[in-house]
Amino acid sequence: MIAFILRRLAITPAIVLVVYTITFALAWLVPGDPLQQPEGRRPPDEIVEAMRKQYHLDNPVTFYVEYLGKATGVSWMLGRSDRPFDLGPSLRHRDWSVNEILATGLPVSMSLGLSAMLIALVIGVTAGIIGGLRPNGPFDLVAQLVSLLGISVPSFVVGAGILMLFAAKLQWFPIGGWGGLRYVVLPAFALSLPYAAYIARLIRYGMIEQMNSDYARTARAKGLSRTGVALKHVLKNAFLPVLSYLGPATATAMTGSFVVEKIFAVPGIGQHFVDGVTGKDITLVMGVVLVYATMLVLFNLAVDVLYRFVDPRIEVA
Amino acid sequence: MRLLAPIAFLIAAILIALSADHPRAPADFVVVQRADATTLDPQRMSWQQDFRAARALYEGLVTLDAQGARPQAGVAERWEVSDDRLTYVFHLRANARWSNGEPVTADDFVYAFRRAILPETAADYSGFLFDIVGAEELFTWRGKRLEEYAALPATERTSERCAALWTETVERFTTTVGIRANDPRTLTIRLKHPVAYFLDLVAFPALAPVHRATVEADVSFDPLSGRLIQRHTWTKAGHLISNGPYRLADWRYKRSMLFEQNEHYWKAAKVRSKTVEVRIIEDANTTVLSAEAGSGDWVTDILAEYRPEMLAERRRYDERHATAIAAALARGLRIDEALATLPAPEAGERRNLFGLRSFGTDFYSFNCRPALTNGKPNPFNDARVRRAFALSVDRQLLIDRVTRLGEPPSSVLVPRDAVPGYTSPTGLGLDPERARKELTDAGWSDRDGDGLVENESGERFPTVDLVYSLGSPRYRDVSFALREMWRGTLGVEVQARGKDVRDFRDDLKNGNFMIARGGWYGDYGDPTTFLNLSRSNDGNNDRKYASPRFDGLLDNAAKELDPAKRLAILTEAERLLVEEDLPILPLCGYVTLYMYDPTVVRGLTHHPRLEQHLSRLWRAETQTAAAGAPR
Repeated sequence: MIAFILRRLAITPAIVLVVYTITFALAWLVPGDPLQQPEGRRPPDEIVEAMRKQYHLDNPVTFYVEYLGKATGVSWMLGRSDRPFDLGPSLRHRDWSVNEILATGLPVSMSLGLSAMLIALVIGVTAGIIGGLRPNGPFDLVAQLVSLLGISVPSFVVGAGILMLFAAKLQWFPIGGWGGLRYVVLPAFALSLPYAAYIARLIRYGMIEQMNSDYARTARAKGLSRTGVALKHVLKNAFLPVLSYLGPATATAMTGSFVVEKIFAVPGIGQHFVDGVTGKDITLVMGVVLVYATMLVLFNLAVDVLYRFVDPRIEVA
Repeated sequence: MRLLAPIAFLIAAILIALSADHPRAPADFVVVQRADATTLDPQRMSWQQDFRAARALYEGLVTLDAQGARPQAGVAERWEVSDDRLTYVFHLRANARWSNGEPVTADDFVYAFRRAILPETAADYSGFLFDIVGAEELFTWRGKRLEEYAALPATERTSERCAALWTETVERFTTTVGIRANDPRTLTIRLKHPVAYFLDLVAFPALAPVHRATVEADVSFDPLSGRLIQRHTWTKAGHLISNGPYRLADWRYKRSMLFEQNEHYWKAAKVRSKTVEVRIIEDANTTVLSAEAGSGDWVTDILAEYRPEMLAERRRYDERHATAIAAALARGLRIDEALATLPAPEAGERRNLFGLRSFGTDFYSFNCRPALTNGKPNPFNDARVRRAFALSVDRQLLIDRVTRLGEPPSSVLVPRDAVPGYTSPTGLGLDPERARKELTDAGWSDRDGDGLVENESGERFPTVDLVYSLGSPRYRDVSFALREMWRGTLGVEVQARGKDVRDFRDDLKNGNFMIARGGWYGDYGDPTTFLNLSRSNDGNNDRKYASPRFDGLLDNAAKELDPAKRLAILTEAERLLVEEDLPILPLCGYVTLYMYDPTVVRGLTHHPRLEQHLSRLWRAETQTAAAGAPR
């Protein structure tokens, strides 16, 4: 187990490097200029040129190497930078470094994402069990319909809808903002629906399949009730596909959803990231991608470890 | 059971993350705006929201009063201007203090102005100081020396050499630039030539003082480029030292900013709200919903797509109370004060929305270059063609049917009645008859009866390349409407081309357009803030309009010491622009939609400059109960 984790950790930098390289190539090719304002007064040309040099925007190779060196802490170890893991200054947000932006936005996005996954698990697993217990029964049909809607209705529709209903009309929740449990509920619910729907479908199919397996039949033959078998034995196996889905899904949810964050005015990282891409704020984009890639790899690793923990039959080697 | 472990872990993680993020006690006044300040470093500011924060945090030598936007005493309690209008001596008040209790000195201003001039600060508004003796020269000189430095071999770019260049720069600033602290409370500024609106520039937030010690703690040399590098730890809460009505209590980026009263501020007793929160809500619809629910006192800009319908609700309310409103206005009340005296709106009505004229003009640019980027001759190089296009535009129709915000139609560039003493020219209104004649005079008429115009050799008028920026449906809609007007009146084919904002800016700069969407907001209360756009050498002259006559008029105006005569020359310059040469086709004044409850919110100015000082705003709490519903 330890050897497995160490091996996986050892190849993490290589994966992140590949992601970094591809993202860098794409971000560099995006048209536009981070040093020009979209509206209003233009800074003088000589100032723009000087800033271009300062940020190495005149040379992709220098930028690629310098940025990677500073971000990974290599420059720091070589004594060429005064801080490790320096993701650079944001090119468009003049007072803020990428580290500061991540430090303010990431915890918000993470708690929103985790809450969404929690809601998704509760709703998804419940709906999946109900459906899986009596396939094609009335409950199952309702659950399937709802999960179909959850996957297919885009979150800006759901988000705007529940904002209008629960916050504007019923005034159960505040409209927009962040700071306490009351602010989390609506955006987390809006964000959770597609995940909940997907989980419900995974569980339902898993249960239907497992209920027909030998061990389930044996348990039934020994006199256990259908529900008893389902909850005691089948659910555990039906949950395995959900577990492998949870790794990347949690990472995605935690790094922020642009749409949900925008509708609910949640000050997370998603908005910054989209602004960064459209504004060609290349340091911000690269910083977020580096953090995101690292998180994704680590979450997948965590899921693989959990897999082993939940299902001892699986050899992790 | 094992499955519960990760879930329990999840719950714990959420609770920990949330408990670290407490909501705050509500502030005395809450402002809701779409975008956060890009910087709190006054010298680097560029945006409306930056300046709003600056007016809360900093105070310049002079400030502008809310109603007429005229300069009044700030940190300087009085000032003297020499007879030739070239020397300004500012006397700083003894009780001007930074938020840490230290006195504000003339040296703080010298330091801030020096920062604004240095090329490495990359101040968008450094040009505001270039009327000062030696300032532009220092900017150019330092830029050149930095270039030479950067060209040196790496081994010669040492910290010592970098520091030596800096010492030389400071030396040069002290000896050649006309900014001097005679003593801690006297500041002298010498100008190259008279600047009639110089006090207005001095009031501009980009010329606010900064606390030298905290700013300098964040400055370091970059031996590679020779430049000063400015970190921005100092603009964060807990570090920022301000000299204005407030200090920065908290700043969470793109989320909220909290201002608390600066007890050392010399006019602290006059500060209306002790704490002000600026809340950021980016989504236009969420902004409206949150304002309707009563969270937030003043929304600075309503941008929801359904805002014309919201304005219609306001109109319905106004119509029902027309006589009462007229009577109240006749008594000298302002419109919001008048509305506050009336009964609450009924369903389908509202009184919390105010479409205010602002200090900006929506226009379209004609490319005045002789040739297009594809090498072909540019028909818009001919002023007659430009006039023909301008004379075909029905502005009222555009406003009633397309933009629908009740904008004031405008055939001039400088907003009417916004600059005291300035008389606007007439400009060119709708005149299809004359439009066709101008086009015929320019050699374009329908010779073969197909409804489209041709020149003498039978070539059709080239398809007009009309460029607008994507992102706001307004520009697209206006462009499409203009296309129809020109096609119908003049018989020309127009192709409207939407471009991403950043590519759009490149097209403007490179002259890759025939007609392009434009617009401009004035920075200071003088016509030149709009007219300078058309100077042949101006960096924002996208049209590349170059008229020695126009430049000459502006130069003459600059030399004229008599204010009335000077403004008359500027009127003539604008007349040349909007009646004869038409590099710019003005459409209407910009309107900003404020949302606030007139029975509660006090202190917002409706003057077109819209210079809102947060310290002058407050909630009239007592009237809330009487007024009932929040709208």
